[in-house]
This record gives sequence, C-alpha cells and structure tokens, in this order.
Amino acid sequence: MAETPDAAPSRIAAVAIALAVFLIDVATPLEGAVAVLYVVVVLIAARAFSRGGVILASGACLGLTIAAYLISHDPEAFGSPLLRCLVSLAAIGITTALALRHKADAAVLAEQARLLDLTHDAVFVRDRHDVITFWNRAAEEFYGLSAAEVIGRVAHEVLQTVFPTDRAVILTELHRTGRWEGELVQRVRSGRAVVVESRWALQRDAAGAPLAVLETNTDVTERKRTYAQLVASERRYRTIFDNTRVSILQQDWSAVKADLDRLRAEGVRDVAAYAAAHPDFLARARRNVVIVDVNSVTVRMLRAPDRESLLGPLDDLLPEADPTFPLSLAALANGERFFEGETQVRTHDGGSVPVLFGVSFPADPADLGCVLVHALDITERKEAAEALLTVQADLAHAARVSTMGELTATMAHEINQPLAAVVTNGEAALRWLRRPAPDLGEATDALGRVVTNGRRAGEIVARIRGFLAKSPPRHESLDLAEMIGEAAQLLERELARHAVILRQENEPGLPRVRGDRLQLQQVVVNLMVNGIQAMAAIRDRPRVLTVRTSRQEDGPVRVDVADTGEGIRPEALERVFQPFYTTKSNGMGMGLAICRSTVEAHGGRLWVSDAGPGAVFHVLLPVD
Amino acid sequence: MGCISESGFLTLGQLAASGARHTMSDTPTIAIVDDDEAVRTATASLVRSLGYAARTYASALDFLQDGQGACPDCLITDVQMPGMTGVELQERLRAEGSTLPVIVVTAFPSEAMRQRALASGACAVLEKPFGGDVMVRSLQSVLEGGPLS
Repeated sequence: MAETPDAAPSRIAAVAIALAVFLIDVATPLEGAVAVLYVVVVLIAARAFSRGGVILASGACLGLTIAAYLISHDPEAFGSPLLRCLVSLAAIGITTALALRHKADAAVLAEQARLLDLTHDAVFVRDRHDVITFWNRAAEEFYGLSAAEVIGRVAHEVLQTVFPTDRAVILTELHRTGRWEGELVQRVRSGRAVVVESRWALQRDAAGAPLAVLETNTDVTERKRTYAQLVASERRYRTIFDNTRVSILQQDWSAVKADLDRLRAEGVRDVAAYAAAHPDFLARARRNVVIVDVNSVTVRMLRAPDRESLLGPLDDLLPEADPTFPLSLAALANGERFFEGETQVRTHDGGSVPVLFGVSFPADPADLGCVLVHALDITERKEAAEALLTVQADLAHAARVSTMGELTATMAHEINQPLAAVVTNGEAALRWLRRPAPDLGEATDALGRVVTNGRRAGEIVARIRGFLAKSPPRHESLDLAEMIGEAAQLLERELARHAVILRQENEPGLPRVRGDRLQLQQVVVNLMVNGIQAMAAIRDRPRVLTVRTSRQEDGPVRVDVADTGEGIRPEALERVFQPFYTTKSNGMGMGLAICRSTVEAHGGRLWVSDAGPGAVFHVLLPVD
Repeated sequence: MGCISESGFLTLGQLAASGARHTMSDTPTIAIVDDDEAVRTATASLVRSLGYAARTYASALDFLQDGQGACPDCLITDVQMPGMTGVELQERLRAEGSTLPVIVVTAFPSEAMRQRALASGACAVLEKPFGGDVMVRSLQSVLEGGPLS
C-alpha cells in the first residue's frame, strides 16, 4: 500500500506523543489511566505505518505502559494502579486490533478501486440524488473530465444524457430488478455526442433502500456507425440484387474447393483437361456447387414458379454438354477472381436460354460459400445474329443465282452469234452447191466460214468455263480458327438441342488462308451440321463433335471435323460427295457435293475417312 | 442516180413513195444490217445463193447514211445492235413514210419485242439461228407477193 504523503510528520508526531505520554505516566503521580492515551499513538500509526509498523508501534506502546508502571509502582502491590495499567493495555490492544482490521478493509477497497481504474469502460458511482461520488480513470479519459471536476455534480446534467425512454420508466425498472441496460447518448467535454452501451447496478443499504448506482458505460459510437454502414451496404446490395435487370445467383462453391485442393495436392495442374477425362469428378463438382439464392429476374428468366424451386445443385441448371463449367473450375483452381462465358441454361419448363454470364470468386477461399454469378439472357441478341447470318447466306445465294442468270444470258448471246453464222453459212453452202450450176467457190467460202465460226463458238465456251473455274468471287485473308469459332456460335443452339459436346482444338500460330469467307464458313457449318445429325441416334456414348485445325508438314492448313456418330461404310466414302447422294429423308444430297466444289475452287481438297466410331471430314486449304 | 434529190440526199421515205424499185437491175437487192460480221457475211451469202443481190451494213446508221444503196427491195435487220436497234430503225422508216418491207432477226426473241416489230409493220420476225428455208420463204413472200409468214 502506497504511503500517504503526510506519513513522515505523522510518524514524528506518533513518536513524540508516545514519549510525552510515557514521561507523564512515569513522572506524574496522576491517579488516572494516562497510558490509555497511547491509543492516540496507535491510531496515528495506523494511518502512517504499514501493518508491521502498526504492530511494532502497538508493541512499543504496550512496553512503555508496562515500563512506566514498573518504574513508578511497586510491582508486588496489587491495587488500583495495576488495574489502571491493565485497562490501558486492554485499550491499546483492542485499538490495535480494530486499526489493523480497518487497515485490511481499506486495502481491499483500494484494490477494488484500482481495478475499476484498470477497466476500459467508463465507470462511475452516483448516489440517490444522482450526484457523482466515484469516477474512474477510463471515465476521465473517455469524457475528458477529471474526477475532481465531476464528483459532487449531478451525472445526467454533466453528461447531458439522452435516455432511450422516459427516465422514470428506467428508474422503475432499476428499483424493481436492481439492474438496467440500454443505450444512452451523452456528450463529452468537447461537446461531441457519443453513444454508450450503459449498464446500471443498484446498491441498497441494509434496510433495502436505494443507496447508490454503479454505472458502467462502453463506447459503441464507432460500432454503431460501422453497423449503420453495414446495414446501408446490405440494403444497397439487396436493392441491386432485387431490382437489377441482370439475373444474379448466389452459389456455394466451398465443397468444390475442397475437391480442387485435393487435385492440386495430387499434382493435377490442368483442371479442365482432368474434368474432361474424369466424368465422375465433373458430375460431382456440378452437384457440389449449390445455388443458395436467386433474384426475381432469375426466376423470370428461368420461367420458374418461385425462388425456392431454383435453389439446389447447379447440375439441375446446366445442360449435360455445357462446356463452360470445367473452365470455371480451372479458373477457380488457378486463383482467378473472375470467369465469364456464354452457355445455355435449362429453364424450369424444360426449355433452354442462352446466357452471357460472369462468376466472381471471393478473394478469401473461406468466403466461397457466397460466390456471385450474374447472367444475362441473350436470346434476342442470338436470334438477331442468327437472322443476320441467315440473311447474309440468302443474299449470297441470291447473288450467286443472279450471277448465274447473267452468265447464262451472256453465254447465250456470245454463243448464239457464231452458231447463227454456222447455220446460215451451212444453208448458203448447200444452196450454192444445189444450184443448176453449182458455184463451188461460193460454197467453199461459206464452208470456210462454217469452220471459222464453229471454232469461234468453241473458244467462247472454253473462255466461259475458264471464267467459272477461276471464280471464288471474293478473296480475302482468313483466320480459320476465328471462322470456326463463328460457325460454332452459329450452331450453339443446334449443339445444345442435340446434346452434343463441341471441342475446338486449334494449333497455335496457324497461318491464314485465302478465300471467300462466306463460302468457306458454309463449308465448315455444313460439315458440322452433318456431324451433329450423324450422332442423333447415338445413345450409348457421348456425342462429341471435334473441330481441329493443324498445319500440314508440306504447307496447307488442315481442318478435321470428327463426330462420334454412325460412321460411313467404306464403299460409301466417295459416294457421299456425289450430287443427290443422301441418307436423310428430306435431304437434297447437294451439301457435300457443293462443299467439295467450293473447297476445290479454293485450290483445296475435301475427303472423308471412317474413324470408328464416327466419321472425320478433312479439309485442306492452301495458306495465304 | 434517180434516188438523189436536189439536196443530194433523198430520204428513204421519199424513195419508197417514188416507187423507186429495181433501179439498178431486175435482180432484187436485199439490204442486210447486223453488227456481227460473221452473221452479216453468212446472211449475205445465203441471200446471194438465192439469186438476190445483197448489200451489208454494220449498223442502222450506216444504212440510213448510204445514199447509193438505199433503195433496196427488202431490209433484213438484227435487233440487238449498239446505237440504234433494228426495231428503232424500222419504226423510223415507217415514221418517214417508207413502205420498205422489213424482216427482223434476233437472238433474244421476246413476245413484247415481236409485238412491237409487227405493230410497226415488220413482214417477219425470225429467231437466230434461223433455218435457210424460213429465210427463203420470207424473202419470196416479200418480193413476189406471196403470203407472209
């Protein structure tokens, strides 16, 4: 226990008083218990000395009392002096005992007060009249008011406290239960308002009457503001979630993450390839991604009756042949934060919708329980694009037809003139010869002109044929991979409808080819559609259409279109390219014939081989 | 030349009106207008083999400007020609009052063209390549007053 500042003078006074009492006790013949005055010494010592000091002082006083008695009285005479001495000794002893006990109590109280100073909460005590009687150090710091400034003043006036309800109601509860808790707004010295979480405890006297209130206040201003911001943020998010025109799905990817971590531990780097090779892994992952929440746009887009019917495994939403999910798994495995793509999703009524989507992965894998996926219905855009392509194809067809028409007219005119000359000259020659006197000269001339004009007609035919052969009408430099990508886009719905998985494998750094974009694209589309249709009846194996580009060693670029369909019988391998050969009930049998003539007009080759299961069409095109 | 007017240039209309036929000899003269030389020469040979005289022109304008030979007994003209077409030539002759018989030949016969040619008085519309017999019959009917085909 810390010594009080006035300890030294107290000690001197105690010693002086003790000496004075001793001298009076010894030297004066007073018939009284002078030694009782040692009590004063003990009391002073109790304030000035530690516990040991008090005991020592008390012992000294007892010693001095006995010494004085022995000096001034006959120790063998039992009389009133002895009685007085004993009374004095008893008084000193009792006082010492009381002083020590008081000292111990004071030490406990001081220790408790020190603990109150240690707490970070502002703690103060106010009496029945709300007057502050205790004010801890945290209160001094928090309110900027020292204990000396506030003790003796009314608490709610000093702090300008605003109570959450009527103060009388609060007091009623406090008196009934002995406790009250609530939020108060108070002001610190600077005038700034603070919000505190306040806990009151009522202290009662022995009779149960209210004595004082211990008020403990915790500053929650910051917490309140943060919470308010959080609430605002949540409200903003909700508003966006509910009112945006974009479909938003909240998904739980945490279960998938565990699988991906295991793969990483096993040394798997290319997750997309792994997923392609392990259908069971892919199927599990599709089931392990769970849709937790969707907004109203999603419900409308997927034509569902309500939100709840869409919650569950992502597997329910994705078509079997969806190519984007393995890529999104790979993106997550590679630590990417965002993945976007285009796919078809199943609607609740069994149809499908083309969507453009983006997946936002959280920075912290612990938050994978809340992965936000936004999706946009692009049906209209797709339809517009398809319509545009159809129109383009129609236009190209019309252009070709009209070119053919012009060509026919030109051919007719060009050939008709020499033909007319041939016939007329022939007629003339006959008549020159049939004359009564045949004119051989004229006849010979006419026949010479027959030959000349016949030759002229032949030359014209040769010229037109040459013109036709050399007429891929528009030559441009083409990126085959890009063109195949466009064709794949065009056929997306067709692929989804037939549950065909499309694989595009493009050799990097493929050289460009030269040709008519539309014509070559029609070739690719035609071969892909053939492949898709060839797999229509396949039930026992995946329907996979592979479009692969590569560079031949000797120069040309090669495109392989492989399906896993019925295949082509060896004897039919060449016949498929003949006009009017078809296996389709409504087919014209012109598609492959036209494809071949188009490719050949580009200086390339088109052939087919049986790949068991399925067929592979090969296209060779010279590089640009 | 009886065909020449005071101004030195007699229109075909005036020629026809003056009945200036057979001025050179008794052999009927056939004028042939075709931009294709081969057809022109062949037609001329056929016409001559039939015993007529033939004059050839590469264009309608050449024919109109030829004062000397501009009094034929019959005109055979192609339709599709640069500058003035055969049908336009025929219409112009009619407009100037000419009664010169005209046989129209074409590689692109259309009903509209045929109607237009016949409306302005063509004796026959023949399709290229025409047979010799058809041409013979047409010429005979024009020159000897036979029935027109």
